[in-house]
Amino acid sequence: MSDKPFFVGYLPAPGGLRGCLVLAGALLMLGMAAAGFALGVAQDDPGEGAFRFDYGRQTVTGVVELTPYPLIHVTEGNDRIKAGETFMMSAGGKSGVDGRAAPLAGQVAQVSGVMLERGDLYMLQLRGGRNGIRAAEGSGAVPEPQDLGRWRLAGEICDGKCLSGAMRPGRGLAHKACANLCLLGDVPPVFVSTQPVEGSEFLLITGPDGTALPEAAYDYVAQYVTVEGQVRRHGSLLVFAMDPDTLALAP
Amino acid sequence: MSVKYIPVQWNPNKWYYDGIMLVGVAAFLWVFLYITPDALGHERPINPQIHNARAFGACAFTMLTVILCIGPLARLDHRFLPLLYNRRHFGVMTAFVAATHAGYILDWYFAFSSRSPVQGLLEANTSYGQIAGFPFEILGVFALICLTLLAATSHDFWLKFLTPPVWKRLHYLIYAAYAAVVGHVVLGILQDDRGIGVNLLFIGGAALVCVLHLAAWWQGRAEPMGIAATGWVQVAPVDAFREGFAKITKLPDGDRVAVFLHEGQLSAIANACAHQNGPLGEGKIVDCLVTCPWHGFQYDVRNGQSPAPFTEKVPTYLVKVEGGAVFVNPAANPPGTAVAPVPLEKGAT
Ligand code: FES
Repeated sequence: MSDKPFFVGYLPAPGGLRGCLVLAGALLMLGMAAAGFALGVAQDDPGEGAFRFDYGRQTVTGVVELTPYPLIHVTEGNDRIKAGETFMMSAGGKSGVDGRAAPLAGQVAQVSGVMLERGDLYMLQLRGGRNGIRAAEGSGAVPEPQDLGRWRLAGEICDGKCLSGAMRPGRGLAHKACANLCLLGDVPPVFVSTQPVEGSEFLLITGPDGTALPEAAYDYVAQYVTVEGQVRRHGSLLVFAMDPDTLALAP
Repeated sequence: MSVKYIPVQWNPNKWYYDGIMLVGVAAFLWVFLYITPDALGHERPINPQIHNARAFGACAFTMLTVILCIGPLARLDHRFLPLLYNRRHFGVMTAFVAATHAGYILDWYFAFSSRSPVQGLLEANTSYGQIAGFPFEILGVFALICLTLLAATSHDFWLKFLTPPVWKRLHYLIYAAYAAVVGHVVLGILQDDRGIGVNLLFIGGAALVCVLHLAAWWQGRAEPMGIAATGWVQVAPVDAFREGFAKITKLPDGDRVAVFLHEGQLSAIANACAHQNGPLGEGKIVDCLVTCPWHGFQYDVRNGQSPAPFTEKVPTYLVKVEGGAVFVNPAANPPGTAVAPVPLEKGAT
Protein backbone atom coordinates (compact mmCIF):
# COMPACT_ATOMS: atom_id res chain seq x y z
CA MET A 1 0.00 0.00 0.00
CA SER A 2 2.81 2.35 0.88
CA ASP A 3 4.12 2.47 -2.70
CA LYS A 4 0.79 3.28 -4.27
CA PRO A 5 0.21 6.85 -5.46
CA PHE A 6 -2.21 8.70 -3.22
CA PHE A 7 -4.74 11.07 -4.74
CA VAL A 8 -5.64 14.27 -2.92
CA GLY A 9 -8.34 16.15 -4.78
CA TYR A 10 -6.97 19.64 -4.38
CA LEU A 11 -3.39 18.65 -5.32
CA PRO A 12 -2.17 17.67 -8.77
CA ALA A 13 -2.79 13.97 -9.41
CA PRO A 14 0.33 11.91 -8.70
CA GLY A 15 2.22 10.80 -11.80
CA GLY A 16 1.64 7.09 -11.27
CA LEU A 17 -2.11 7.61 -11.19
CA ARG A 18 -2.48 9.93 -14.16
CA GLY A 19 -2.52 7.19 -16.77
CA CYS A 20 -5.23 5.34 -14.85
CA LEU A 21 -7.32 8.47 -14.51
CA VAL A 22 -7.07 9.34 -18.20
CA LEU A 23 -8.10 5.77 -19.00
CA ALA A 24 -11.00 5.84 -16.53
CA GLY A 25 -12.20 9.18 -17.93
CA ALA A 26 -12.00 7.93 -21.51
CA LEU A 27 -13.81 4.72 -20.57
CA LEU A 28 -16.55 6.66 -18.83
CA MET A 29 -17.14 8.90 -21.83
CA LEU A 30 -17.05 6.04 -24.31
CA GLY A 31 -19.12 3.85 -22.00
CA MET A 32 -21.82 6.51 -21.74
CA ALA A 33 -21.92 6.87 -25.53
CA ALA A 34 -22.09 3.08 -25.92
CA ALA A 35 -24.85 2.83 -23.31
CA GLY A 36 -26.79 5.56 -25.12
CA PHE A 37 -26.54 3.59 -28.32
CA ALA A 38 -27.37 0.22 -26.79
CA LEU A 39 -30.43 1.53 -24.94
CA GLY A 40 -31.53 3.73 -27.82
CA VAL A 41 -31.53 0.94 -30.40
CA ALA A 42 -33.36 -1.43 -28.06
CA GLN A 43 -36.67 0.40 -28.52
CA ASP A 44 -39.57 -1.42 -30.13
CA ASP A 45 -41.19 -0.26 -33.35
CA PRO A 46 -44.23 1.84 -32.40
CA GLY A 47 -46.20 0.54 -35.37
CA GLU A 48 -47.87 2.22 -38.27
CA GLY A 49 -50.51 4.36 -36.51
CA ALA A 50 -50.17 8.11 -37.01
CA PHE A 51 -51.94 11.43 -37.43
CA ARG A 52 -52.50 11.83 -41.16
CA PHE A 53 -51.97 15.55 -41.54
CA ASP A 54 -50.64 14.66 -44.97
CA TYR A 55 -54.19 13.73 -46.04
CA GLY A 56 -55.36 17.26 -45.26
CA ARG A 57 -58.55 18.15 -43.46
CA GLN A 58 -61.37 15.66 -43.90
CA THR A 59 -64.96 16.88 -43.98
CA VAL A 60 -67.80 14.40 -44.39
CA THR A 61 -71.49 14.11 -43.56
CA GLY A 62 -73.23 11.28 -41.83
CA VAL A 63 -75.69 10.11 -39.23
CA VAL A 64 -74.69 10.35 -35.57
CA GLU A 65 -75.16 7.29 -33.39
CA LEU A 66 -74.40 7.14 -29.67
CA THR A 67 -73.19 3.74 -28.53
CA PRO A 68 -72.72 5.73 -26.09
CA TYR A 69 -69.42 6.67 -27.78
CA PRO A 70 -70.49 8.70 -30.80
CA LEU A 71 -70.10 7.20 -34.25
CA ILE A 72 -70.66 8.66 -37.70
CA HIS A 73 -72.31 6.52 -40.37
CA VAL A 74 -71.12 8.32 -43.47
CA THR A 75 -73.76 9.34 -45.99
CA GLU A 76 -71.69 11.78 -48.04
CA GLY A 77 -68.02 10.93 -48.05
CA ASN A 78 -64.94 12.07 -49.95
CA ASP A 79 -62.14 10.24 -51.67
CA ARG A 80 -60.70 8.92 -48.39
CA ILE A 81 -63.77 8.34 -46.27
CA LYS A 82 -66.43 6.66 -48.31
CA ALA A 83 -70.18 6.70 -47.89
CA GLY A 84 -71.29 3.64 -45.97
CA GLU A 85 -68.25 3.64 -43.65
CA THR A 86 -68.54 4.08 -39.90
CA PHE A 87 -65.93 5.75 -37.71
CA MET A 88 -65.19 7.00 -34.19
CA MET A 89 -64.25 10.51 -33.19
CA SER A 90 -62.32 12.40 -30.58
CA ALA A 91 -61.73 16.01 -29.73
CA GLY A 92 -58.26 17.54 -29.52
CA GLY A 93 -56.17 16.13 -26.67
CA LYS A 94 -57.48 13.51 -24.31
CA SER A 95 -61.17 14.21 -24.76
CA GLY A 96 -64.09 12.68 -26.55
CA VAL A 97 -66.84 14.53 -28.38
CA ASP A 98 -69.79 13.14 -26.39
CA GLY A 99 -71.02 16.56 -25.30
CA ARG A 100 -71.07 17.96 -28.84
CA ALA A 101 -72.45 14.82 -30.46
CA ALA A 102 -75.21 14.01 -27.97
CA PRO A 103 -77.67 16.71 -29.15
CA LEU A 104 -77.27 15.41 -32.71
CA ALA A 105 -78.01 11.74 -31.95
CA GLY A 106 -79.86 10.14 -34.85
CA GLN A 107 -79.47 13.26 -36.98
CA VAL A 108 -77.35 14.09 -39.96
CA ALA A 109 -74.23 16.05 -39.11
CA GLN A 110 -71.18 17.38 -40.85
CA VAL A 111 -67.90 16.50 -39.17
CA SER A 112 -64.50 17.91 -39.94
CA GLY A 113 -61.02 17.19 -38.67
CA VAL A 114 -57.80 15.29 -39.13
CA MET A 115 -57.55 11.54 -39.53
CA LEU A 116 -55.67 9.15 -37.29
CA GLU A 117 -55.03 5.86 -39.00
CA ARG A 118 -53.64 2.50 -38.01
CA GLY A 119 -54.23 -0.21 -40.59
CA ASP A 120 -57.99 -0.76 -40.89
CA LEU A 121 -58.69 1.42 -37.87
CA TYR A 122 -59.21 5.12 -38.25
CA MET A 123 -60.72 7.90 -36.26
CA LEU A 124 -61.32 11.59 -36.83
CA GLN A 125 -59.99 14.21 -34.43
CA LEU A 126 -62.57 16.93 -34.83
CA ARG A 127 -61.90 20.63 -35.04
CA GLY A 128 -63.05 22.74 -32.13
CA GLY A 129 -66.69 23.68 -31.49
CA ARG A 130 -69.17 23.78 -34.35
CA ASN A 131 -66.38 23.67 -36.91
CA GLY A 132 -65.83 20.09 -35.83
CA ILE A 133 -69.41 18.84 -35.76
CA ARG A 134 -72.69 20.52 -36.60
CA ALA A 135 -76.14 19.59 -37.87
CA ALA A 136 -76.30 19.31 -41.63
CA GLU A 137 -78.88 19.05 -44.37
CA GLY A 138 -79.64 15.62 -45.70
CA SER A 139 -81.39 12.46 -44.81
CA GLY A 140 -80.28 9.22 -43.32
CA ALA A 141 -80.89 6.90 -40.42
CA VAL A 142 -78.76 4.93 -38.05
CA PRO A 143 -78.39 1.48 -39.59
CA GLU A 144 -79.90 -1.34 -37.58
CA PRO A 145 -77.08 -3.06 -35.63
CA GLN A 146 -76.47 -6.64 -36.60
CA ASP A 147 -76.06 -8.97 -33.63
CA LEU A 148 -73.07 -11.30 -34.08
CA GLY A 149 -73.60 -13.18 -30.81
CA ARG A 150 -71.65 -13.59 -27.61
CA TRP A 151 -67.89 -13.82 -28.00
CA ARG A 152 -64.97 -14.53 -25.71
CA LEU A 153 -62.06 -12.44 -26.91
CA ALA A 154 -58.40 -12.28 -25.96
CA GLY A 155 -56.45 -9.07 -26.45
CA GLU A 156 -55.82 -5.61 -25.09
CA ILE A 157 -58.08 -2.76 -24.01
CA CYS A 158 -56.64 0.47 -25.43
CA ASP A 159 -57.74 4.03 -25.88
CA GLY A 160 -58.70 4.34 -29.51
CA LYS A 161 -56.95 7.61 -30.10
CA CYS A 162 -53.42 6.77 -28.93
CA LEU A 163 -53.79 3.36 -30.52
CA SER A 164 -54.69 4.95 -33.86
CA GLY A 165 -51.48 6.94 -33.75
CA ALA A 166 -51.90 9.99 -31.52
CA MET A 167 -49.07 8.55 -29.45
CA ARG A 168 -46.28 6.52 -30.92
CA PRO A 169 -46.14 4.06 -29.18
CA GLY A 170 -49.73 4.35 -28.01
CA ARG A 171 -50.39 1.04 -26.32
CA GLY A 172 -48.78 -1.30 -23.81
CA LEU A 173 -48.17 -1.18 -20.08
CA ALA A 174 -45.78 1.78 -20.12
CA HIS A 175 -48.59 3.73 -21.75
CA LYS A 176 -51.34 2.56 -19.38
CA ALA A 177 -51.71 5.76 -17.34
CA CYS A 178 -51.94 7.80 -20.53
CA ALA A 179 -54.56 5.41 -21.92
CA ASN A 180 -56.58 5.60 -18.70
CA LEU A 181 -56.46 9.38 -18.82
CA CYS A 182 -57.79 9.34 -22.39
CA LEU A 183 -60.54 6.91 -21.42
CA LEU A 184 -61.50 9.05 -18.42
CA GLY A 185 -61.80 11.90 -20.90
CA ASP A 186 -64.32 9.88 -22.97
CA VAL A 187 -61.99 8.96 -25.80
CA PRO A 188 -63.52 5.78 -27.30
CA PRO A 189 -61.94 2.56 -25.98
CA VAL A 190 -60.88 -0.02 -28.53
CA PHE A 191 -60.26 -3.73 -28.07
CA VAL A 192 -57.33 -5.10 -30.06
CA SER A 193 -58.18 -8.74 -30.53
CA THR A 194 -55.43 -11.29 -31.05
CA GLN A 195 -57.73 -13.13 -33.48
CA PRO A 196 -59.78 -11.15 -36.00
CA VAL A 197 -63.51 -11.08 -35.27
CA GLU A 198 -65.50 -11.26 -38.49
CA GLY A 199 -62.46 -9.92 -40.30
CA SER A 200 -61.70 -7.10 -37.90
CA GLU A 201 -58.95 -6.89 -35.31
CA PHE A 202 -60.28 -3.69 -33.72
CA LEU A 203 -63.61 -3.36 -31.89
CA LEU A 204 -65.08 -0.33 -30.16
CA ILE A 205 -65.76 -1.28 -26.53
CA THR A 206 -68.80 -0.33 -24.49
CA GLY A 207 -70.20 -1.59 -21.24
CA PRO A 208 -73.33 -3.77 -21.22
CA ASP A 209 -76.66 -2.25 -22.35
CA GLY A 210 -75.28 0.86 -24.00
CA THR A 211 -73.17 2.06 -21.08
CA ALA A 212 -69.66 3.50 -21.24
CA LEU A 213 -66.52 1.50 -20.44
CA PRO A 214 -67.12 -0.13 -17.03
CA GLU A 215 -64.96 1.12 -14.20
CA ALA A 216 -63.67 -2.39 -13.55
CA ALA A 217 -62.03 -2.35 -16.97
CA TYR A 218 -59.58 0.42 -16.03
CA ASP A 219 -57.44 -1.96 -13.97
CA TYR A 220 -57.11 -4.19 -17.03
CA VAL A 221 -56.26 -1.54 -19.59
CA ALA A 222 -53.05 -2.31 -21.52
CA GLN A 223 -52.83 -5.87 -20.23
CA TYR A 224 -53.36 -9.06 -22.13
CA VAL A 225 -56.87 -10.08 -21.06
CA THR A 226 -59.76 -12.32 -21.93
CA VAL A 227 -63.31 -11.00 -21.75
CA GLU A 228 -66.75 -12.00 -22.93
CA GLY A 229 -69.46 -9.86 -24.41
CA GLN A 230 -71.91 -9.21 -27.18
CA VAL A 231 -70.51 -8.27 -30.57
CA ARG A 232 -72.66 -6.20 -32.88
CA ARG A 233 -71.94 -4.67 -36.24
CA HIS A 234 -72.88 -0.99 -36.31
CA GLY A 235 -72.53 0.01 -39.93
CA SER A 236 -68.98 -1.01 -40.86
CA LEU A 237 -67.69 -0.99 -37.27
CA LEU A 238 -67.79 -3.79 -34.71
CA VAL A 239 -68.95 -2.81 -31.23
CA PHE A 240 -68.13 -5.09 -28.31
CA ALA A 241 -70.45 -4.71 -25.31
CA MET A 242 -68.16 -6.30 -22.75
CA ASP A 243 -69.33 -8.07 -19.64
CA PRO A 244 -67.03 -6.77 -16.87
CA ASP A 245 -67.66 -9.85 -14.69
CA THR A 246 -65.82 -12.00 -17.23
CA LEU A 247 -62.66 -9.89 -17.37
CA ALA A 248 -59.57 -11.91 -16.52
CA LEU A 249 -55.87 -11.76 -17.22
CA ALA A 250 -55.06 -14.04 -20.10
CA PRO A 251 -52.72 -16.90 -19.28
CA MET B 1 -12.42 21.52 4.28
CA SER B 2 -13.78 24.96 4.54
CA VAL B 3 -14.18 27.74 7.03
CA LYS B 4 -16.60 29.71 4.94
CA TYR B 5 -19.18 28.51 2.45
CA ILE B 6 -18.88 29.23 -1.21
CA PRO B 7 -20.94 27.39 -3.85
CA VAL B 8 -18.04 25.27 -5.12
CA GLN B 9 -14.39 25.35 -4.14
CA TRP B 10 -13.10 24.79 -7.63
CA ASN B 11 -9.74 23.26 -8.33
CA PRO B 12 -8.30 21.75 -11.53
CA ASN B 13 -9.32 18.20 -10.59
CA LYS B 14 -12.93 19.26 -10.14
CA TRP B 15 -12.87 20.93 -13.55
CA TYR B 16 -11.52 17.75 -15.15
CA TYR B 17 -14.04 15.64 -13.28
CA ASP B 18 -17.04 17.74 -14.28
CA GLY B 19 -15.77 18.10 -17.82
CA ILE B 20 -15.51 14.34 -18.28
CA MET B 21 -18.91 13.82 -16.66
CA LEU B 22 -20.58 16.42 -18.88
CA VAL B 23 -18.99 15.03 -22.03
CA GLY B 24 -20.18 11.55 -20.99
CA VAL B 25 -23.75 12.76 -20.42
CA ALA B 26 -23.75 14.77 -23.64
CA ALA B 27 -22.39 11.75 -25.55
CA PHE B 28 -25.11 9.49 -24.15
CA LEU B 29 -27.89 11.92 -25.01
CA TRP B 30 -26.53 12.83 -28.41
CA VAL B 31 -26.15 9.19 -29.46
CA PHE B 32 -29.57 8.24 -28.09
CA LEU B 33 -31.35 11.26 -29.56
CA TYR B 34 -29.66 11.68 -32.92
CA ILE B 35 -27.91 8.45 -33.89
CA THR B 36 -30.33 5.75 -32.79
CA PRO B 37 -33.42 6.90 -34.76
CA ASP B 38 -31.60 6.11 -38.01
CA ALA B 39 -30.21 2.89 -36.59
CA LEU B 40 -33.71 1.84 -35.50
CA GLY B 41 -35.01 2.39 -39.00
CA HIS B 42 -38.68 2.46 -37.96
CA GLU B 43 -40.97 3.27 -40.82
CA ARG B 44 -42.67 5.89 -38.66
CA PRO B 45 -40.57 7.25 -35.81
CA ILE B 46 -41.33 7.19 -32.11
CA ASN B 47 -42.83 10.52 -30.99
CA PRO B 48 -39.95 12.94 -30.39
CA GLN B 49 -41.28 13.74 -26.92
CA ILE B 50 -41.31 10.06 -25.99
CA HIS B 51 -37.89 9.54 -27.53
CA ASN B 52 -36.55 12.50 -25.52
CA ALA B 53 -38.17 11.25 -22.32
CA ARG B 54 -36.63 7.83 -22.83
CA ALA B 55 -33.20 9.29 -23.59
CA PHE B 56 -33.14 11.35 -20.40
CA GLY B 57 -34.66 8.54 -18.32
CA ALA B 58 -32.17 5.97 -19.58
CA CYS B 59 -29.34 8.46 -19.06
CA ALA B 60 -30.41 9.12 -15.45
CA PHE B 61 -30.55 5.36 -14.81
CA THR B 62 -27.07 4.89 -16.29
CA MET B 63 -25.65 7.81 -14.30
CA LEU B 64 -27.15 6.51 -11.08
CA THR B 65 -25.72 3.08 -11.81
CA VAL B 66 -22.26 4.56 -12.38
CA ILE B 67 -22.52 6.66 -9.21
CA LEU B 68 -23.43 3.64 -7.12
CA CYS B 69 -20.60 1.59 -8.63
CA ILE B 70 -17.97 4.20 -7.68
CA GLY B 71 -18.19 3.64 -3.91
CA PRO B 72 -17.58 -0.13 -3.91
CA LEU B 73 -15.04 0.15 -6.75
CA ALA B 74 -13.01 2.60 -4.67
CA ARG B 75 -13.08 0.17 -1.76
CA LEU B 76 -12.02 -2.73 -3.95
CA ASP B 77 -9.23 -0.83 -5.69
CA HIS B 78 -7.85 2.46 -4.42
CA ARG B 79 -7.06 3.64 -7.91
CA PHE B 80 -10.79 4.37 -8.25
CA LEU B 81 -10.75 6.76 -5.28
CA PRO B 82 -10.44 9.87 -7.47
CA LEU B 83 -13.83 9.01 -8.98
CA LEU B 84 -15.29 9.52 -5.52
CA TYR B 85 -13.76 12.93 -5.11
CA ASN B 86 -16.39 15.01 -6.88
CA ARG B 87 -19.18 12.45 -6.98
CA ARG B 88 -21.67 14.92 -5.56
CA HIS B 89 -21.55 16.91 -8.82
CA PHE B 90 -22.38 13.68 -10.63
CA GLY B 91 -25.35 13.27 -8.29
CA VAL B 92 -26.60 16.81 -8.82
CA MET B 93 -26.32 16.37 -12.59
CA THR B 94 -28.29 13.12 -12.33
CA ALA B 95 -31.09 14.94 -10.52
CA PHE B 96 -31.27 17.47 -13.39
CA VAL B 97 -31.31 14.73 -16.04
CA ALA B 98 -34.02 12.82 -14.13
CA ALA B 99 -36.08 16.01 -13.74
CA THR B 100 -35.86 16.59 -17.50
CA HIS B 101 -37.15 13.05 -18.06
CA ALA B 102 -40.06 13.74 -15.70
CA GLY B 103 -40.76 17.04 -17.47
CA TYR B 104 -41.08 15.34 -20.86
CA ILE B 105 -43.36 12.67 -19.39
CA LEU B 106 -45.64 15.17 -17.68
CA ASP B 107 -45.72 17.38 -20.73
CA TRP B 108 -46.69 14.58 -23.03
CA TYR B 109 -48.42 11.59 -21.46
CA PHE B 110 -50.18 13.70 -18.83
CA ALA B 111 -50.80 16.81 -20.87
CA PHE B 112 -53.75 17.57 -23.18
CA SER B 113 -56.37 16.49 -20.65
CA SER B 114 -58.88 18.36 -18.55
CA ARG B 115 -56.84 17.46 -15.47
CA SER B 116 -53.58 19.16 -14.61
CA PRO B 117 -50.55 16.96 -15.44
CA VAL B 118 -49.82 16.30 -11.77
CA GLN B 119 -53.45 15.45 -11.05
CA GLY B 120 -53.48 13.19 -14.09
CA LEU B 121 -50.29 11.50 -12.91
CA LEU B 122 -51.81 10.77 -9.53
CA GLU B 123 -55.32 9.86 -10.66
CA ALA B 124 -55.10 8.20 -14.06
CA ASN B 125 -53.85 4.82 -12.95
CA THR B 126 -54.65 3.65 -9.43
CA SER B 127 -54.13 -0.09 -9.93
CA TYR B 128 -51.75 -0.34 -6.97
CA GLY B 129 -52.83 -3.89 -6.17
CA GLN B 130 -51.30 -5.51 -9.22
CA ILE B 131 -47.86 -6.01 -10.71
CA ALA B 132 -48.70 -5.83 -14.40
CA GLY B 133 -50.18 -2.39 -14.90
CA PHE B 134 -48.90 -1.09 -11.54
CA PRO B 135 -48.65 2.72 -11.63
CA PHE B 136 -44.88 2.59 -11.95
CA GLU B 137 -44.76 6.34 -12.45
CA ILE B 138 -45.15 6.82 -8.71
CA LEU B 139 -41.85 5.00 -8.12
CA GLY B 140 -40.20 7.46 -10.47
CA VAL B 141 -41.79 10.33 -8.57
CA PHE B 142 -40.40 8.96 -5.31
CA ALA B 143 -36.93 8.55 -6.82
CA LEU B 144 -37.02 12.07 -8.22
CA ILE B 145 -38.01 13.51 -4.84
CA CYS B 146 -35.08 11.63 -3.24
CA LEU B 147 -32.62 12.79 -5.90
CA THR B 148 -33.80 16.37 -5.61
CA LEU B 149 -33.51 16.28 -1.83
CA LEU B 150 -30.02 14.81 -2.04
CA ALA B 151 -28.93 17.32 -4.67
CA ALA B 152 -30.36 20.20 -2.65
CA THR B 153 -28.55 19.10 0.51
CA SER B 154 -25.33 18.03 -1.17
CA HIS B 155 -23.41 21.16 -0.19
CA ASP B 156 -21.14 21.08 2.86
CA PHE B 157 -23.28 23.79 4.41
CA TRP B 158 -26.01 21.17 4.86
CA LEU B 159 -23.51 18.63 6.07
CA LYS B 160 -22.51 20.97 8.86
CA PHE B 161 -26.04 22.17 9.52
CA LEU B 162 -27.56 18.69 9.73
CA THR B 163 -24.43 17.18 11.37
CA PRO B 164 -22.50 14.47 9.54
CA PRO B 165 -24.35 11.45 11.02
CA VAL B 166 -27.78 12.85 10.05
CA TRP B 167 -26.51 14.01 6.67
CA LYS B 168 -24.93 10.64 5.99
CA ARG B 169 -28.12 8.82 6.91
CA LEU B 170 -30.17 11.16 4.76
CA HIS B 171 -27.86 10.47 1.85
CA TYR B 172 -28.37 6.73 2.17
CA LEU B 173 -31.67 7.63 0.48
CA ILE B 174 -29.70 7.17 -2.73
CA TYR B 175 -30.22 3.43 -2.29
CA ALA B 176 -33.97 3.85 -1.82
CA ALA B 177 -33.99 6.05 -4.91
CA TYR B 178 -32.09 3.46 -6.93
CA ALA B 179 -34.39 0.65 -5.78
CA ALA B 180 -37.36 2.79 -6.81
CA VAL B 181 -35.78 3.51 -10.19
CA VAL B 182 -35.17 -0.19 -10.77
CA GLY B 183 -38.83 -0.84 -9.88
CA HIS B 184 -39.89 2.04 -12.13
CA VAL B 185 -37.98 0.55 -15.06
CA VAL B 186 -38.93 -3.08 -14.41
CA LEU B 187 -42.64 -2.36 -13.98
CA GLY B 188 -42.67 0.16 -16.80
CA ILE B 189 -40.64 -0.30 -19.93
CA LEU B 190 -39.35 -3.80 -19.20
CA GLN B 191 -42.83 -5.27 -18.87
CA ASP B 192 -43.64 -3.83 -22.22
CA ASP B 193 -40.58 -4.16 -24.31
CA ARG B 194 -40.21 -7.46 -25.99
CA GLY B 195 -36.57 -6.85 -26.90
CA ILE B 196 -34.10 -8.84 -24.84
CA GLY B 197 -31.41 -6.15 -25.20
CA VAL B 198 -33.08 -3.51 -23.09
CA ASN B 199 -33.88 -6.07 -20.40
CA LEU B 200 -30.29 -7.25 -20.25
CA LEU B 201 -28.89 -3.75 -20.09
CA PHE B 202 -31.14 -2.52 -17.30
CA ILE B 203 -30.99 -5.69 -15.26
CA GLY B 204 -27.25 -6.04 -15.90
CA GLY B 205 -26.65 -2.50 -14.61
CA ALA B 206 -28.63 -3.12 -11.43
CA ALA B 207 -26.92 -6.50 -10.95
CA LEU B 208 -23.49 -4.87 -11.31
CA VAL B 209 -24.34 -2.43 -8.51
CA CYS B 210 -25.40 -5.33 -6.26
CA VAL B 211 -22.38 -7.50 -7.05
CA LEU B 212 -19.88 -4.68 -6.48
CA HIS B 213 -21.48 -3.80 -3.15
CA LEU B 214 -21.37 -7.43 -2.06
CA ALA B 215 -17.74 -7.76 -3.16
CA ALA B 216 -16.75 -4.58 -1.30
CA TRP B 217 -18.59 -5.75 1.80
CA TRP B 218 -16.90 -9.13 1.59
CA GLN B 219 -13.46 -7.58 1.23
CA GLY B 220 -14.06 -5.03 3.97
CA ARG B 221 -15.62 -7.33 6.53
CA ALA B 222 -13.71 -6.98 9.79
CA GLU B 223 -11.06 -9.43 10.86
CA PRO B 224 -11.96 -11.21 14.09
CA MET B 225 -11.00 -8.93 16.96
CA GLY B 226 -8.23 -9.98 19.30
CA ILE B 227 -9.30 -8.71 22.68
CA ALA B 228 -6.78 -8.96 25.52
CA ALA B 229 -7.88 -9.75 29.08
CA THR B 230 -7.39 -6.08 29.86
CA GLY B 231 -10.05 -5.16 27.30
CA TRP B 232 -7.55 -3.60 24.88
CA VAL B 233 -8.07 -4.58 21.27
CA GLN B 234 -5.25 -5.98 19.18
CA VAL B 235 -4.67 -4.09 15.95
CA ALA B 236 -1.76 -5.83 14.20
CA PRO B 237 1.75 -7.12 14.78
CA VAL B 238 4.32 -4.35 15.01
CA ASP B 239 6.00 -5.23 11.76
CA ALA B 240 2.76 -4.79 9.82
CA PHE B 241 3.00 -1.00 10.18
CA ARG B 242 4.38 1.21 7.41
CA GLU B 243 5.53 4.76 7.86
CA GLY B 244 2.80 7.25 6.94
CA PHE B 245 0.01 4.66 6.79
CA ALA B 246 -2.47 3.08 9.18
CA LYS B 247 -3.81 -0.27 10.24
CA ILE B 248 -7.55 -0.35 10.88
CA THR B 249 -9.34 -2.42 13.46
CA LYS B 250 -12.95 -2.77 14.51
CA LEU B 251 -13.89 -2.20 18.15
CA PRO B 252 -16.50 -4.17 20.11
CA ASP B 253 -18.97 -1.28 19.73
CA GLY B 254 -18.66 -1.47 15.93
CA ASP B 255 -16.58 1.73 15.49
CA ARG B 256 -13.29 1.49 13.68
CA VAL B 257 -9.93 2.86 14.74
CA ALA B 258 -7.04 3.83 12.48
CA VAL B 259 -3.59 3.44 14.05
CA PHE B 260 -0.99 5.44 12.12
CA LEU B 261 2.77 5.16 12.16
CA HIS B 262 4.25 8.63 11.85
CA GLU B 263 7.95 9.33 12.31
CA GLY B 264 8.38 5.99 14.03
CA GLN B 265 5.59 6.60 16.53
CA LEU B 266 2.06 5.25 16.77
CA SER B 267 -1.10 7.34 17.17
CA ALA B 268 -4.72 6.23 16.95
CA ILE B 269 -7.68 8.24 15.73
CA ALA B 270 -11.23 7.31 14.74
CA ASN B 271 -11.39 5.85 11.26
CA ALA B 272 -14.48 7.88 10.33
CA CYS B 273 -13.71 11.28 8.84
CA ALA B 274 -15.68 14.18 10.34
CA HIS B 275 -16.66 15.22 6.82
CA GLN B 276 -18.60 12.31 5.36
CA ASN B 277 -17.31 9.34 7.35
CA GLY B 278 -14.60 8.63 4.80
CA PRO B 279 -12.12 5.92 5.89
CA LEU B 280 -9.20 7.92 7.34
CA GLY B 281 -7.24 4.72 7.88
CA GLU B 282 -7.16 4.22 4.12
CA GLY B 283 -5.63 7.66 3.76
CA LYS B 284 -2.03 8.71 4.18
CA ILE B 285 -0.01 11.16 6.19
CA VAL B 286 0.77 14.10 3.95
CA ASP B 287 2.79 17.01 5.35
CA CYS B 288 2.49 15.54 8.84
CA LEU B 289 -1.31 15.38 8.60
CA VAL B 290 -3.59 12.39 8.10
CA THR B 291 -5.29 13.05 4.78
CA CYS B 292 -8.70 11.55 4.05
CA PRO B 293 -8.77 9.55 0.82
CA TRP B 294 -12.21 10.84 -0.13
CA HIS B 295 -12.01 14.63 -0.23
CA GLY B 296 -8.71 15.39 1.43
CA PHE B 297 -9.77 16.70 4.86
CA GLN B 298 -6.73 16.64 7.15
CA TYR B 299 -6.13 15.89 10.83
CA ASP B 300 -3.17 16.02 13.17
CA VAL B 301 -2.65 12.39 14.06
CA ARG B 302 -1.65 13.24 17.64
CA ASN B 303 -4.85 15.05 18.60
CA GLY B 304 -7.43 14.36 15.89
CA GLN B 305 -7.78 18.08 15.08
CA SER B 306 -7.79 19.72 11.68
CA PRO B 307 -5.11 22.38 11.33
CA ALA B 308 -6.24 25.97 11.94
CA PRO B 309 -8.30 27.69 10.68
CA PHE B 310 -10.32 24.49 10.18
CA THR B 311 -12.29 23.17 13.11
CA GLU B 312 -13.05 19.51 12.32
CA LYS B 313 -12.14 17.02 15.06
CA VAL B 314 -12.24 13.26 15.42
CA PRO B 315 -11.87 11.11 18.57
CA THR B 316 -8.44 9.78 19.55
CA TYR B 317 -7.50 6.52 21.30
CA LEU B 318 -4.76 5.28 23.59
CA VAL B 319 -2.21 2.90 22.03
CA LYS B 320 0.27 0.46 23.50
CA VAL B 321 2.80 -2.04 22.17
CA GLU B 322 2.99 -5.38 23.92
CA GLY B 323 4.51 -8.71 22.96
CA GLY B 324 5.25 -7.64 19.42
CA ALA B 325 1.70 -6.42 18.74
CA VAL B 326 -0.08 -3.07 18.81
CA PHE B 327 -3.22 -2.61 20.94
CA VAL B 328 -5.75 0.21 21.34
CA ASN B 329 -7.94 1.03 24.27
CA PRO B 330 -11.50 0.83 22.93
CA ALA B 331 -12.63 3.77 25.07
CA ALA B 332 -12.61 6.77 22.72
CA ASN B 333 -11.26 10.10 23.95
CA PRO B 334 -13.42 13.12 23.20
CA PRO B 335 -12.78 14.46 19.67
CA GLY B 336 -9.63 16.55 19.53
CA THR B 337 -7.99 15.11 22.70
CA ALA B 338 -4.20 15.11 22.48
CA VAL B 339 -2.55 11.73 23.12
CA ALA B 340 1.20 11.25 23.33
CA PRO B 341 2.41 9.05 20.45
CA VAL B 342 3.90 5.69 21.39
CA PRO B 343 7.24 4.65 19.88
CA LEU B 344 7.05 1.52 17.79
CA GLU B 345 9.33 -1.21 19.10
CA LYS B 346 12.24 -2.51 17.11
CA GLY B 347 11.30 -4.73 14.25
CA ALA B 348 9.04 -2.24 12.57
CA THR B 349 10.13 -0.60 9.36
S1 FES C 1 -15.08 12.09 3.95
FE1 FES C 1 -14.80 13.86 2.82
S2 FES C 1 -12.80 14.32 3.36
FE2 FES C 1 -13.14 12.65 4.52
